[in-house]
Amino acid sequence: MANKTSRRDFVKRSAVAVAGVLILPEIIPSTALGKGGKLPPSDRIIMGAIGTGSQGTSNMRDFLDLKGQVEFVAVCDVDALHLKAAKELVDKTNKNTGCRTYGDFREFMANEKLDAVSIALPDHWHGIIYSEAANKKWDVYGEKPICRTISDGQTIVNAVKKNNIIWQTGSWQRSESNFHRGAELVINGRIGKLKYIEAGLPDGGRGIGTPPVQEVPKELDWEMWLGPALKVPYRGVAHWDWRWILDYSGGQLTDWAGHHIDIANWGAGLEHTGPVEIEGQGVYPREGIFNVPVEYDFLCKYSNGIEMRVANASRFKMGMGTTWYGDIGWIHVDRGGKIAASDPKILEEKIGENEIHLYKSENHWQNFIDCVRSRKEAIAPIEPAYRAISVGLLGEIAMTTGQKILWDPDKEVIIGNQAASRLLSRPYRRPWTLPTV
Amino acid sequence: MKRQLLNILLIAGLIAIVTSCNTKSSYKTLIITGRNTSNWKESSSVLKQILDGSGLFSCEIATNPKSAGDTSSFEPDFSKYKLVVIDYNVDSWSEKTKTAFLDFVRNGGGVIVYQGASSSFPDWKEYNEICGLGGWGNRSEKDGPYVYYRNNELVTDSSAGIAGSYGKLSEYEVRVRNLDHPVTRGLPVRWMHGYDVLYARLRGPAKNMEILATAYSDTAGGGSGRNEPVLMAITYGKGRIFHTTMGILGEGGGPAVHCAGFIVTLQRGAEWAVTGNVTQAVPNDFPNAAGIVLRPDYKEITLEDDFANIVNYEISKSTKYLTDLQARIRKASGDAKTLLKYEKMMVSVLKNSEATIDSKKLILRELSWMGTDYCIASIKELVKNEELKHEAEFALERLNVEK
Repeated sequence: MANKTSRRDFVKRSAVAVAGVLILPEIIPSTALGKGGKLPPSDRIIMGAIGTGSQGTSNMRDFLDLKGQVEFVAVCDVDALHLKAAKELVDKTNKNTGCRTYGDFREFMANEKLDAVSIALPDHWHGIIYSEAANKKWDVYGEKPICRTISDGQTIVNAVKKNNIIWQTGSWQRSESNFHRGAELVINGRIGKLKYIEAGLPDGGRGIGTPPVQEVPKELDWEMWLGPALKVPYRGVAHWDWRWILDYSGGQLTDWAGHHIDIANWGAGLEHTGPVEIEGQGVYPREGIFNVPVEYDFLCKYSNGIEMRVANASRFKMGMGTTWYGDIGWIHVDRGGKIAASDPKILEEKIGENEIHLYKSENHWQNFIDCVRSRKEAIAPIEPAYRAISVGLLGEIAMTTGQKILWDPDKEVIIGNQAASRLLSRPYRRPWTLPTV
Repeated sequence: MKRQLLNILLIAGLIAIVTSCNTKSSYKTLIITGRNTSNWKESSSVLKQILDGSGLFSCEIATNPKSAGDTSSFEPDFSKYKLVVIDYNVDSWSEKTKTAFLDFVRNGGGVIVYQGASSSFPDWKEYNEICGLGGWGNRSEKDGPYVYYRNNELVTDSSAGIAGSYGKLSEYEVRVRNLDHPVTRGLPVRWMHGYDVLYARLRGPAKNMEILATAYSDTAGGGSGRNEPVLMAITYGKGRIFHTTMGILGEGGGPAVHCAGFIVTLQRGAEWAVTGNVTQAVPNDFPNAAGIVLRPDYKEITLEDDFANIVNYEISKSTKYLTDLQARIRKASGDAKTLLKYEKMMVSVLKNSEATIDSKKLILRELSWMGTDYCIASIKELVKNEELKHEAEFALERLNVEK
């Protein structure tokens, strides 16, 4: 790839600049210099992490499991307790006390010189921070869904493409063999001509009512946690449970779009386009601050005639997972290594040399690191991530408006519906704005 | 004064018309009660309120027997009715009444088997076929299998054992097993039901019976550990039977019968039993997995209720009037006339100096996407208000999306 050399040069220049200007010797600790017969320094990927809550820490551990291939040097979180725990994890691994900590991602970005960054934040922060990270020319491992709105997603896709960075979405099911196998059989016509797909995602659960306003815990920077979202008083809901509040997430639907819809698109060859019609209904809580749909059921039609129904799993006979239906059979895949077909013989089929071989990865985090080195596209690149969450977000708009939505997947606009078009973006609370790319 | 009088007369006239329409088109219904093991005086009145409240039924209540043990005088003329609701579980009827009832069902009459009614008449074979499943009254394996769900599989279990039990009373989650049946079409697949008894280990002939919904009888509360049927659809001859095991009566009705899920499934089940179809729309307040919804007066809240209460909204208060409005907006499906009507009512909240800040914040969020030019001037006014500035700016930015 043409940019491989320039990329490595950039990294080297960055390291020199850091050493020269900021005088931060920890950035190239002795272990990274290749002592003791370990990897040469040019192969050690220097990483940081933004968002070190449960998913962020889980991703950091997955990278650290790659034994010495990456080195975390800095972490950033708006919760001082998360930050402390993440620093301890990094320092323990690095056997030093050098991991730098930040409560404000702007300082993190201004000070740090990284090869790559792992980002796991509430969805309403993705538009700004993914785009800014790409503008820094850091390679990004970013959690799904990649955006809260279509507009955020478009900005992120542009930033990733324009800056030519390596992007890996946390859609790790792509690196599991059953999902890969199912998608590869479907795309090679082993269930005949694909007609219809079902994506079963989790049901929503119980609400918590409306808890009283309470004092913000001293370790939490609530203003920064809210960021571009509308200001609301703190009511004990921040970590994890943000995904049940529409200001920050679309609920199980958008959380899981990056898994079973992503896999559906992969096998159907729809990962670079979108539906043309979306229609359906949601079921919403009656009481309390959790306001995402607890049930959802919508049908997407594609220009090639394929239909995809997305619903909470209890509404499907097949339950959770992706099911592709062709004119001669079906294939179902789900977590736990599940793969089933209308005829078990379909699963024995060999894929010939001249047929389509989908990208193969055995380990999602290793694949990212390999691609950071090789400058090749990772298994879960930005556009498919955007197209997967678009299905969820367009479904959300269809349910919110109670209308059939007509979508132009090339121009990426809603046709003939001003009110619905407004739901393609959410205004940002000042001073926050989407970065220019 | 004159105008007020005119208004009153107009309203009175409208009510008269509506009432007469209802009477004309409603299905005559007989609720059979009396000497039930539960609080039958109140339960029959609740059932009447619920069914009459749908506008589809007009209920009469038959009490039997007048004195203990004497059922000989109980001879209702079933042919006058489209629907018979059984809220009764004690003494046997006369052979003549039994035959008349069976003829009514065989010839296409609708039946509702309500809660404890399935424990009636253990020795009357045909009645047990009408109920599908029953309990108590020395029923056992001789009366038919247990029928329930294990995970997603229907189980018919003929093992020996008692019929009828229940664990600790609780709120419980109902799981709809068939979303294509007229009674359950359009309902959430999972919904929370108000504090109630959950019958378990029912057994019976289960002929021509479909389980529409189940609930898990939790072993932690002494339940069966099975997904027990709570709503069933049965056919007998030409007749259709809707069987609900839900709805224990508490103080002043109580959460089991105030539950919008109980009320609405009863109304829908009754219509299906009479006509084989359901024309009633699923109301906005049907509960779902997020939590129970109670209707203490058995009525759905109105648009006027929504706005009368939204103006007082404060964080920590019930959100039901706002979520009800949101549901109305979704149901309008983009109909400009309906949405403008709502928009005007929403703008009147923005202009209302008595309305709370929190109510205005919520209204501004809705208007941000569905508002028209009508709302813009009022929103601009609110930019000057320090407490509403962000929400007003948010709304204006979105509304100007195409400028």
